[in-house]
Order: sequence, then C-alpha cells, then structure tokens
Amino acid sequence: MARVGVFTCFCGANIADFIDVPQVVEATKKIKGVKVSAEYKYMCSDPGQQMIRDAIIQNRLTSVVVAACSPRMHEKTFRKALSDAGLNPYMLEVANIREHSSWVHQKDKKAATEKASDLIRMAVAKSIANEQLHEISVPVTKRALVIGGGIAGIQAALDIADARIPVTLIERSPSIGGRMAQLDETFPTLDCSQCILTPKMVDVASHPYIELIPYSEVIELDGYVGNYKAKIRKKASYVNFSTCTGCGACTQKCPVKVSNEFNMGIDKRKAIYTPFPQAVPNKPVIDAEHCTMLLKGKCGICAKVCEKGSIDFKMVDEVIEREVGAVVVATGYDLWDPKPYEEYGVGRYKDIITSLEFERMVSASGPTNGLPLRPSDGKVPKNVVFIKCIGSRDEAKGIEYCSKICCMYTAKHAILLHHKVHDSHAYIFYMDIRAAGKGYEEFVKRAQVETAATYLRGRVSKIYKKGDKLIVRGEDAQLGQVVEVVADLVVLATAVIPYKENPPLARLLGISYDKYGYMSEAHPKLRPVETAKAGIFLAGCTQAPKDIPDTVAQASACAAKVCGLFSGDTMKKDPMISTINTENCTGCQNCVTVCPYQAIVTEEIPLGHGSKEMRIVAKINEGVCQGCGSCVAICRSMSINLAGFTDPQIINEIVSI
Amino acid sequence: MDYTKQIQEIASKLFAENKIDYFVGCKQNGFDDNQVPFLITDPQDIPKLVFNDKSVFNLTNYLKADHTRRKRVGLVVKGCDSRSLNLLLTESQLKRENVYAIGICCEGVVNEKGEKAQNCIECVMPDAVVFDELLGTPKGRKDYIANVDLKELTEKPLVERADYFSKVFENCIRCNACRHSCPLCYCAKCCIDQETSTLYNGSNTTSSAMHALMTWSLHLAGRCVDCRNCEKACPSHLPLHLLHKQNEKVIFENFQQHLAGMEKDDRGAFYKYSLTDPDDFIL
Repeated sequence: MARVGVFTCFCGANIADFIDVPQVVEATKKIKGVKVSAEYKYMCSDPGQQMIRDAIIQNRLTSVVVAACSPRMHEKTFRKALSDAGLNPYMLEVANIREHSSWVHQKDKKAATEKASDLIRMAVAKSIANEQLHEISVPVTKRALVIGGGIAGIQAALDIADARIPVTLIERSPSIGGRMAQLDETFPTLDCSQCILTPKMVDVASHPYIELIPYSEVIELDGYVGNYKAKIRKKASYVNFSTCTGCGACTQKCPVKVSNEFNMGIDKRKAIYTPFPQAVPNKPVIDAEHCTMLLKGKCGICAKVCEKGSIDFKMVDEVIEREVGAVVVATGYDLWDPKPYEEYGVGRYKDIITSLEFERMVSASGPTNGLPLRPSDGKVPKNVVFIKCIGSRDEAKGIEYCSKICCMYTAKHAILLHHKVHDSHAYIFYMDIRAAGKGYEEFVKRAQVETAATYLRGRVSKIYKKGDKLIVRGEDAQLGQVVEVVADLVVLATAVIPYKENPPLARLLGISYDKYGYMSEAHPKLRPVETAKAGIFLAGCTQAPKDIPDTVAQASACAAKVCGLFSGDTMKKDPMISTINTENCTGCQNCVTVCPYQAIVTEEIPLGHGSKEMRIVAKINEGVCQGCGSCVAICRSMSINLAGFTDPQIINEIVSI
Repeated sequence: MDYTKQIQEIASKLFAENKIDYFVGCKQNGFDDNQVPFLITDPQDIPKLVFNDKSVFNLTNYLKADHTRRKRVGLVVKGCDSRSLNLLLTESQLKRENVYAIGICCEGVVNEKGEKAQNCIECVMPDAVVFDELLGTPKGRKDYIANVDLKELTEKPLVERADYFSKVFENCIRCNACRHSCPLCYCAKCCIDQETSTLYNGSNTTSSAMHALMTWSLHLAGRCVDCRNCEKACPSHLPLHLLHKQNEKVIFENFQQHLAGMEKDDRGAFYKYSLTDPDDFIL
C-alpha cells in the first residue's frame, strides 16, 4: 500500500504570491495514497529537508513528492534527503509548481492554484509506480585528450597535467601556439603575446604528464564517458623528430618558396619549414603539396644538408590509438572572408587588408619587422582607416552575431599604429563600441585620448581609388552627414567564424553544433563548458567568439571538470537509462538509428533455449545512455523501458488528471 | 498481364539448381477465378503457379513467419511488394542472400468487381525496386497523387468525419486479420497484446478498436506501401487505407516527399536521427 508524503514549498513569495498554498495542501490531503501533506517557506533549506526526513521515518512513507521549483534546480538535494532518511532516492518526484505554474500564471491565482493541484496529483500518481533504482558504476580511464594546441588547449592541458593526470595534446599544424602566437600585443594591458605564450608552450613540451603530438588529427572516437578510444592520425612530416636537432640547415637551403600562412601570406616560407621561430616542437616539417622531391622526385637538398640524416621521404601517415576518459575540444576560430564586400573593392585594391594581416605586420617578429607597410608600394601609411563589423552583425552579407573581440583589438591597433608610426592618424568606423570587461573601457578611452584616434560612428558605403590613395566614403551618423577620408591603408575587422572543420569533427565526436558551426554547450548558462555528450568539454572559440582572458578561464574550467570526472576510480551514473527486453525485441534496429548518443548497439542471442541459430537484438551501452527516451518512443514492440519513466508511471500520470 | 509461364520456368530452374528451399506464389482457389497465396516446397506443385492481374496479394507477408525467414525463399514481387521487401531487409528481418525476388513490372491488379484497383490507379512505383530478375518492361516512377476517398472525406466538416469513423470502426471485431496480413507487422508480440502495459485493452468496443487501429496506423506511418493486404483480409470491410493514406500524405508533404521503401536502407521518415537536424530547441 502506497504511503506518499507531499511537501509544498512557498519558495518565499515566488510560489506563495500567485498560488494559494494552504488550499493546495488541503486538496492534496484528499488524494488517495497521500499520508502526509505539509507546507514550508523554503523546502530546500535545512529545516525544510529535516521536515521531509522526519515525516519519512514517522509515517513510514514509501514515496515522496516535493512541489517546488524545477527538478533541474533541487532534485538532487531532495534525493539526498530521502536517502538520508533511509528511503531509496529515486522514490522522489518533483512537481514543478514554480516554473510551470506560479511564474507563468501570475495574473490568475485561481487557475494557477488549480494547475498546481493537478501537477501534484500527477506527481503523486507517478510516484506510486516508482521503482527503487540504484546508481550505476562505470570504470574510468584517467587520461585526457585535448584537441587543439592554441591557448585554450595549452591552458587546459597544463591545468589537467598539473593535477597529475596524463594528457594527450594533439595539434593539426606543426607547432602549438595557435592564433595567439600570431598576435603582437594583447589588450587591455599591451603585453607581448609571444612573451606570455611561449613559456606556456615550452611548459607543455617539457611537462612529464603531457604527451604532445603535433601535426596530427583525430579520425575516430569510440566509447563513452570515462572509456573513450581515440584514433589519431599522425600526418607524415618526412622529418624524424627523434633525431632532428632543429638546426635549421634544411630550411635555409630549400629552394622552394610558398606563401607563408602564419604571416597571412605577406611573405614566403620554404617547402620544409617551421611555422615561426619560437615553434614548439622546434622541428621542421615538409609540406608535401609543394616539395619537389615528393612531387617530382627531384631535389632532395634538405636530405643532403642534414647532418643527422633525419629527412625520410618515405615516411607515411601513422594511425595511433589512445584510451582516454575525457576529451577537451579547443579547435579555435577562423576569420571570415570579406569578399562579399565588393563595394569596398576587397580583392581589387591591394591596400585593403584584414586585421590579422595588420597584426602580423606590426608584430616585431613579423614579415615587415614590426612596421605596417602598404602592400601596393611598401610605403609607411600615414592615414589608416579601420572598419569594424566586417561580416559581424551583418545579416545580409555575413553573420548575425557580434564577434566580441573586434572593438578591443581595433582600439589596440590604433594604439599600436601610433606607437610604430608617430605621425600617423587612425580613423575608426564603428557601429557600437562594445568594451565590457576589466580595464576594457579605459583601454578604448586610451585609444581615443592618448593616440587621438578619430572614432566615426557609421558604416562605410564605398571605397574607391584616387591616385595612390583610397577614398573611404562613409556616414558619420552623429553629425548626420557623409564623410570622406583619404586613406593610405584600410584595415577590415573581419568577423570571427568557427574553425571550418568543426562540423565534421562534431559528427565524429558525436556532439552537436549550432547553425554557424560552433560546438553546442549543454546549457547556455549553467553548463557552458560541458557538451550534451558526457565527458566531452569545450574550451575557447570552438564554442563562441572569445577573447584571451575568457578562453583561458574556460580552459581552466574544462580542466576542473576533467579533474572532477577523474576524482574516483569509478564514476557514478544516474540509473535512469533504457533497458531492452530482448525476448520481445524484433531486431529492427530503428532504435540504433534514432539514438543521438550512439548508445545502442546490436548483439546476437540464441534463437531459443540451447539453439545454435542466432538472432539480432538491440543492446544498450549503460555508460553512454543519457536516458533521453528517443528509443522508447520509437520502439513499436514496446521492448524498451526507461527506468524512472516506465509506462505504468506515465499512464498513472495521465489517468490522474 | 500474365507472367504465369515465365514464373513457372524460373521456379523450376531455382529448385533444380537448389537455390531455394521454398517458393511463394499464387494459385487458383479452386472454386472461382480468384487466387490464394501458395507456398511450394515440392517442385511437383510448380504447374499450379499462376500470376496475372488477379494475383492481388503482397507475398512478402509470408517471409516474416518463423519457418520462412531463415530459409532460402523465392517469390514474386510487384512494385508495392518490393517496397515492403526493401523495408523488411532494411529492418534486418531478412537476409538479402536468402531471398530470390522475381520482380514484376506491374500493370495493376483488379479489385473484387474486376476493375483496376484504386491503389493501382494511384500507384507511384509499378516496377519492382528490389529484385534478382525483372519481368516486363519498366515504366518508371510516377507522380504522387492524393487518394480519391481521402480527398472526399477531408472536404467534410470535422463532426461528420468523426461520425463516419465511429460508425465504420463499430464494425471492427478485433480479429487482428489486418495485422496478420501486413508484411510489416512482424513483431513477436504486438504492443496491443502486452500484458504489462495498461495502455491497451482487447475489449471489442468502438473506442478500443479505434485506439488499436490508430496505433497500428502510426506504427506504419512512413512505412506503409499501400499494398492493401489489410483491406483484403478484413472480414468487416473497413476502409483501413484511409488511415494509411492520410499518414502517407502528411509525410509526403512534410518530410521531403518521402515515400516508404523506395530506396535501400531507408528506414522511413520517423526513424532517423541526424546531427544536421537543427536542435535549437533542445536545452
């Protein structure tokens, strides 16, 4: 015989102001099976929980209903109260009378009260059919895989490794460092980007708990939280890293010159190259697309000059496997191609460059030794126009969102320009100045006052050439008139877009991504680091545009999550997962195709008792199943059962209203 | 349309080469010119095989029995039958190598009045889509046309439609012949028969019948190939195609013009999960 206790919460004024709680409590007392119906101002507080614990013991309750806020908020709290009083924690049901009633029906107290009573009646009916459930233990492999060696990946790897957890850090390019290595100085303090980044890069290479695999990519990820198996392809570098000393003789003698992607194509690199002087590992790789030895079988100069004999033209891609318990995705960002801005003459005028090209030029180690130069004639520009929101906040040509970092780096560029070319002048066309962050607004002020940059609010309509100058025609919305600026150089602050390979990578990892290609977090506010797939975390611009402080903070948050996951030898897992009734299963495998977590596989079982013939049935992987219930809904033969949401429970709920 | 001779030849060849254990075809019923399905285990019975415009049955229904689904079976499939065969293969109920399908480029079968059947007039794919050998000349895929009866019915107001259905389903005797005749109803135990579930009950009332039939039609949504085996089997002559055709229409209009069983490995509109589905609404 069911003995249910119902505990209704006032939630201060949140519930009590819009729902007549005493009336609800009285109505609840009449429901069949209810032994106790009580109310309290804050059920989640310690006295509130004590009230539940006492009632369970005194009245020998078999299940408990708490009518309060969303179960997302306090289900765990109340489950613990139940288990403290000796009741199975899964005998709890939460009736959400706050989000589902008081908050949404504030204008009609009578109806809200009635709805609250209905919700409680349903929860009571469901709780009567609840079954005792027990947490599942899943073993854990204590090794993390970090995908991407930018500042996000570096920070996450270092923080995890510092907790003495082995990390495998993989990076698709020959060196770690990512976008941050390309920057000159960083806002809002103007520290040199390389100076603060390279010590971290060296730490990664020398850390005993970090295995760095550069020039590689993930090609497969199987398994589930705590027990992933990753296949990693090490791309052929044609250089034996274990014997190479990084002397650089090969890169000096190589006769092939190709556009240098690290410097945004401003200068040339060789076919055998290290991306930049501070690269980690500081070993060259051969670019197979341009090396004449690999393409035509002629040359081989690098092999001749290498004293260690490290060049191996016969090297092939190698696939290695790593067992990992958690994955941190830190793939970073790309920049939007401003080609659609035809009216600006993008592509036609050489003196229109993107902000990252400008960044490389003003970098002390960059291709122009730190001086911004006009690509057309190599002269030092005097008047430079910066145009913000190229692609960002532009539904017609680009993307809808704000790229977040452009306001700040454009202010930085104005200051850097002033530092490098003292008699220059910066004009900045902007839509809004978004400078929310510690020291950010002050930094923009510094650009405006100290360097006397002219900030013009408005969009640029056209850029055309006059002599060797560019005329930038735009609107000054504050004056309400058209302005024309004679510019030597135009810098476009192009939008941040997700790394182009994000969607295929997301599919490979089994996580979701949004319409732009950013990886989706599990909850925009409360779980910003996790993905919907347990054990996979996001750091940096792979999730959304971010500046360096935010990226580093998120990377450290990932590390904290990974360390939390690895804190025990086994992981506890919610038992509310699907189970298969193999007797009834027809083996149609529709559940396999609808499962968003790839948690269902097939197995062969004997056709009958002792039979040698086999038939196929579905099998749930307990570690992977998240209990979403898609398979239950799709199963025609009703062979799948979701613990905690069984048919009797749901039918009880429906029948009770 | 008469393929009797060709089919007899192929069947004897298959038995002679020991390629099949059973052959499923049609034979005359013995008292009028209608036919019945016919399962041959002995090559001596081959002369009894017939196939013409009175061969109305979807023979893939006889592949789902325990004694046929693991044996090597030869059978004749029309356009619609081959689509259900496709689904049975996709849903792992059969092994492709165990089935020898003689595909027919169908010209339509007749109804009990001897006229061309309505589903054949509205047929989208008269040629077999999966076969080991094909008889006749392929006519190709036709345009989808909405069902005539359904059109008539949907023009009526809601109350009249409800009246119509409650009157029609009153005649259901819950014999489950529709389920047994459907090639795609192969579950070992139908959801309607589950003792553990309190959802369904077997009582012979109009509401129970409607509940069961609606569930059945939803389990066939995106899978029904409009072979009308169910209607042929129904002793109460219920217009079951109305339920299936309505589902087919909704799915055709809303799921990229999806039609059941047209392609290999196509599980139907409701049985897919794609990471490219926009999931903005999932928290």
